[in-house]
Amino acid sequence: MLNSFFTLLIVFAFCVQSTAQTCNLNISGRLTDETTSEPIVYGNVFIKELKLGSVSDTAGNFKIQGVCPGNYHLVISHIGCETIEYFLNLRNDTVMGISLDHNHHHLHEVSITAKLKERSIQESQTIGKQDLEENGDKNLSTLLDQMSGVSSIKNGSGIAKPVVHGLYGNRLAIINNGVAQSGQQWGVDHSPEIDPLSANEITVIKGVGAAEYQGNSLGSVILVEPSRIEREPHLHGSGSYFFESNGLGNGMHFSLQQYENVGLEIGWKVDATVKKSGDNRSPNYYLRNTGNEEANVALQFEKSIRKNWIMDAYLSSFNAKLGVFRGAHIGNLTDLDEAFNRSEPFFTQDKFSYEIEAPRQQVNHHLMKLHSMYFITPNQKLEFTYAVQLNQRKEFDVRRGGRSDIPALSLDQVSNFGEVKYLSDFGENWEFKTGVQVNHTDNTNVPETNILPLIPNYVAIEYGAFGILAKSWDKTTVEIGGRYDLENRNVATISNSVPRSIIKYSNSYSNFSAMSGVSQQLVKNWKLLGNIGFANRNPEVNELYSNGLHQGVSGIELGEVTLKPEQSLKGTLSLKGKVKNKLFFEALGYYQVIEDYIFLNPSNEVRLTIRGAFPVFKYEQTNASIYGLDFSTVYQITSHLETKIQYSYLKGDDNSQGIPLIFMPANNLYGALTYDVKNWNLGRGKLENIELQVNNRFVFEQTHILPSQDFIQPPKAYNLIGAKVSAERQAGKFRFNFYLRAENILNTVYRDYLNRQRYFADDLGVNIIAGINAKF
Amino acid sequence: MRLLLLSFVIVFVSCKKDDPLTPTLPIIPNEEEVITTLNYTLTAPNGDVVLFSFKDVDGDGGNAPVVVNGALDTNLTYSGKIELLNETVSPAEDITEEVKEEGDEHQIFYQFSNPDLGTTYTDADANGKPIGVSTQLITKGTSSSTLTITLRHTPDKNASDVASGDISNAGGETDIEVTFAVDVK
Repeated sequence: MLNSFFTLLIVFAFCVQSTAQTCNLNISGRLTDETTSEPIVYGNVFIKELKLGSVSDTAGNFKIQGVCPGNYHLVISHIGCETIEYFLNLRNDTVMGISLDHNHHHLHEVSITAKLKERSIQESQTIGKQDLEENGDKNLSTLLDQMSGVSSIKNGSGIAKPVVHGLYGNRLAIINNGVAQSGQQWGVDHSPEIDPLSANEITVIKGVGAAEYQGNSLGSVILVEPSRIEREPHLHGSGSYFFESNGLGNGMHFSLQQYENVGLEIGWKVDATVKKSGDNRSPNYYLRNTGNEEANVALQFEKSIRKNWIMDAYLSSFNAKLGVFRGAHIGNLTDLDEAFNRSEPFFTQDKFSYEIEAPRQQVNHHLMKLHSMYFITPNQKLEFTYAVQLNQRKEFDVRRGGRSDIPALSLDQVSNFGEVKYLSDFGENWEFKTGVQVNHTDNTNVPETNILPLIPNYVAIEYGAFGILAKSWDKTTVEIGGRYDLENRNVATISNSVPRSIIKYSNSYSNFSAMSGVSQQLVKNWKLLGNIGFANRNPEVNELYSNGLHQGVSGIELGEVTLKPEQSLKGTLSLKGKVKNKLFFEALGYYQVIEDYIFLNPSNEVRLTIRGAFPVFKYEQTNASIYGLDFSTVYQITSHLETKIQYSYLKGDDNSQGIPLIFMPANNLYGALTYDVKNWNLGRGKLENIELQVNNRFVFEQTHILPSQDFIQPPKAYNLIGAKVSAERQAGKFRFNFYLRAENILNTVYRDYLNRQRYFADDLGVNIIAGINAKF
Repeated sequence: MRLLLLSFVIVFVSCKKDDPLTPTLPIIPNEEEVITTLNYTLTAPNGDVVLFSFKDVDGDGGNAPVVVNGALDTNLTYSGKIELLNETVSPAEDITEEVKEEGDEHQIFYQFSNPDLGTTYTDADANGKPIGVSTQLITKGTSSSTLTITLRHTPDKNASDVASGDISNAGGETDIEVTFAVDVK
C-alpha cells in the first residue's frame, strides 16, 4: 500500500540474462488488469524511439524482439485504459509484468470498481487524466456532475459549485492537493478556485464523514490530486487546445516535466492554463456578460533526499474573471416579478461579445504547499505538510456614479495549515493512520467598497486529530476512524444600526466525529460496502452574523448568533459487481439525518426599505433528512459496443416542519451508447482507440417542493442529447489525442432547478467542442 | 527555482500581522452611495407646498422607515421635484445631482393607482429623454389612491412608451421603490 506512490501502473522488470550487447535483446511480458488480474488481450506495447511494437495475445503476453541496448519510452495502450508511458533503460533481455487500470475507462462514467488504495473504504468515483483532458472546457463542478449522485449549483454557466448527495459549499470538503480548499465557500454563487487541467485525477468520495481531512464536511469529500512527477530523466510534456462554439471559447494547457535521477534526484513540473470565452448563447438569444477569463499556473518540485525521504513543493496560482448575466442583476422583488413574466429576459441581445463588465467576479487563489514524506521502515511513514493559501475575491455590481469599477465585495482570506501524519502497515494486513492538524484562517474585508460588508472580519484557529484503523482479511476489510476538532473564532463586525459601531464576538466549538465501514467480497467480482458515520459542522459566519439585504436573492437575510453546530448521521450501502465480464453494475443507497440543519427560513415578515419591500429570511435550525440512490450499469453488447445507464434519485425533507428541503438536486437519468474501434489504418499511419458515443440526459422536474418555498415553480423536466468522437495517434515522438464533443445537439430550450439563472433566462443551447492534446 | 520559492514565501509572510488571534478591525465605510431619503415636493400655482417623504436612515435593516404622505387640492397643476439624500453622512449628501449628471442612465417613474392622476416629465437628459426629477401633476376629481415612485438604474429609455413614463418595458434595476398614500380633495 505504501508504494501506491506510483499509481496506475505497477511495473516490475527483472533481468533474465546479462550477456547480450548487440541488437538482439528482447522485451517481453504480460499485460494484466490491475483489479481482476485477468490478462489483457490485444493490448499495445510500443517503443516510441524505434516505432516498434507488439500486441498482446489471448494470454496477455507480448514480445518485442531484436532491440539494441539503450534508453526507451514504452507506450502501453489498450482500449478502455488510459494510455501510459514507461521509461526503460534496456541493458538485458527484460521481462515485464504490466498491470493496467482497465476499469479506468468505466470509472469516469460508472465507477465499477472501488479504488481502495490508500483511501478509506468509503464509496468513491474518479475522473482520470484522459477525461480531464477531453473536457478541458469544463470547470471542476461541471466535470463532476456527470457522475451519479453529483450535481452542480450554478449561477449562469461559468460559476458552478459541486453538490454531492444534496450537500454543497460548507457541507462538502474540497481537498486540493491534500489541503482543504480555503475561500468563500458560503455563497451559492462562488465556485471553487481550482484548475482541473493541472490535476491528474479528481475523486469524489460519497462518504459518511472525513476522518482524515480537516475542513467542513458532513459526509462527502472531493479530492483533487495533481500528477506526480514521473521518474523520467528526459524532458516530457504535453500541450492541449480546445475551442467551444457556444461562447466562442478558446483554451490552452501546457505542461513540462523532468526528473533528474542521476546525482541530484530532483524533479520538476510546470502546468499552465489559459482560457477565454465570451457571451454564452441560449437557443434563442445571447446572454449578455456571461464570458470568462482564466489564467492559472502550477509549479511542482520533488527531491529525493535519501531513498526513504522525499520532499516536494507545490505552488499554484488561479486567476479568474467571471461575468454574471446582466439580466440576473435586479434591484428588488418588483424587478424579479417582472423578470419572471417576460418571454425574453432583459439584457439579451442578438450579437456576441467577449466583453465582461459589472456584475462580475474577480477571483485569485494562490497556494503554496511544502510536503515531506519519510519512510521509517518500508511499512511505516511519516508525512509533514505545511500550506499557505491566499484567496482574494472581488465582486463588482452595477453601481451609480461611476462606481462599477469599485468592488461591492472585497475579501482577502489567508490560511495557514500544518499537518503531521503517521501511517503504518503492521501484523497481518493491519493498517493504522493517525495525524494532527492545525489551520489558521484570517478573513478580512478590504476597505475599498464603501458598502457595509456582508461577511464580518474574523480569525479562526482549528486544531484537529484523527486516527483510522483498518484490517483486511481474505474477503473482508473493516475500517474504523475518529477525529476531534476544536475551533476558536474571533469575529469583528459592523453594527447595522446608526451610528455604526464595531461589535465583537467569540465562539468556540469542539466536536467529535466517528465513522466505520465494512467491505465484503460476496461471490467472485461482487462486493458489498457498508459505511456509517457521525460528523459535525460548525455554523459559518454568514449564518451567524448576516444582517441585511442580499440583493442577489432579493431578500433580507438575518443571521442568528445562537446557532449550534449541525450533527449528521449518515449511512451508505452499496453493491457492485460484474456478470461474465459483460454486465457491470453499482448501486449505492444512502440515508442521512442532520440534526440542527441550518437553513434560510422565509418568515412572514416583509421589510420596507427605500428599494421596495423585501421578504425576510432567517437562519434557523431544523431536523433534516436526505436520502437517495445512485445507480449505474454498463453492458458490453459486443466487444466493440457498450451501453451505459446511470440514475440518481434524491429526496430531502425538513422533518420538524414536515416540508421538503429547498435546493435539492432533481432526479436524473443518463444513458450512453459507445462504439469503439481499436485501429483504423489511414494511408500514412493509423488512428488508435477510436471511440464514438451518443448520450442522453433526462432531468426530472423537482416536484418535491411546495409552491410557497420559492418565488416560482421549479422548471419542467428536460432532455439533452450529446455525442462524442475521440481517437489517438502516434506520430514520431508525439502521441496525439483528438476529440469532438457536442452538447445539447437539438438546441433544446430548458432551465435547470439548481441554476440560479433559471429565474431570468434559458440555459445554454447547442455547444460543439473540438480539442487536441499532444504528449511527448 | 529556490529563489522563486523564497519569493513566494515572502509574499505570503508579508500578508501576516502581529496578533494571530485578533481579526483586523473592520473600517466603517463611508456609504456614499446609499440613498436614505426621498422627498417629493409638489408646489401649487399659489406657492403652497405639499411634501411626500420616505426616510430610512439606518438602511436596509434596523428601524422602520418614516413615511410622510400628503393631501392635494383638486383641479390644480402642481410642479413636482424629487430630492434624494444620503443622511448617513453629516451634512447630508444630495444624491439628486449624481442622478442628474448620469441622467441617461436613470429614470424616475410615477405610477398612480387612480388612472385620473398622472405626471408629465419636464426635464431631459443629454439625449432628450426624460429623467423625472422635475415633473408636472394635474389633479382631477376627488380620490384616495396610492402613488409608487420608482428610480430605475440603466433602463432602456428607447423601449416602447418608456419615455412617456410607462415602466413596463424599462428593464434595468430598481434603486428606489416607495409608495405613498395620495388624497385629492
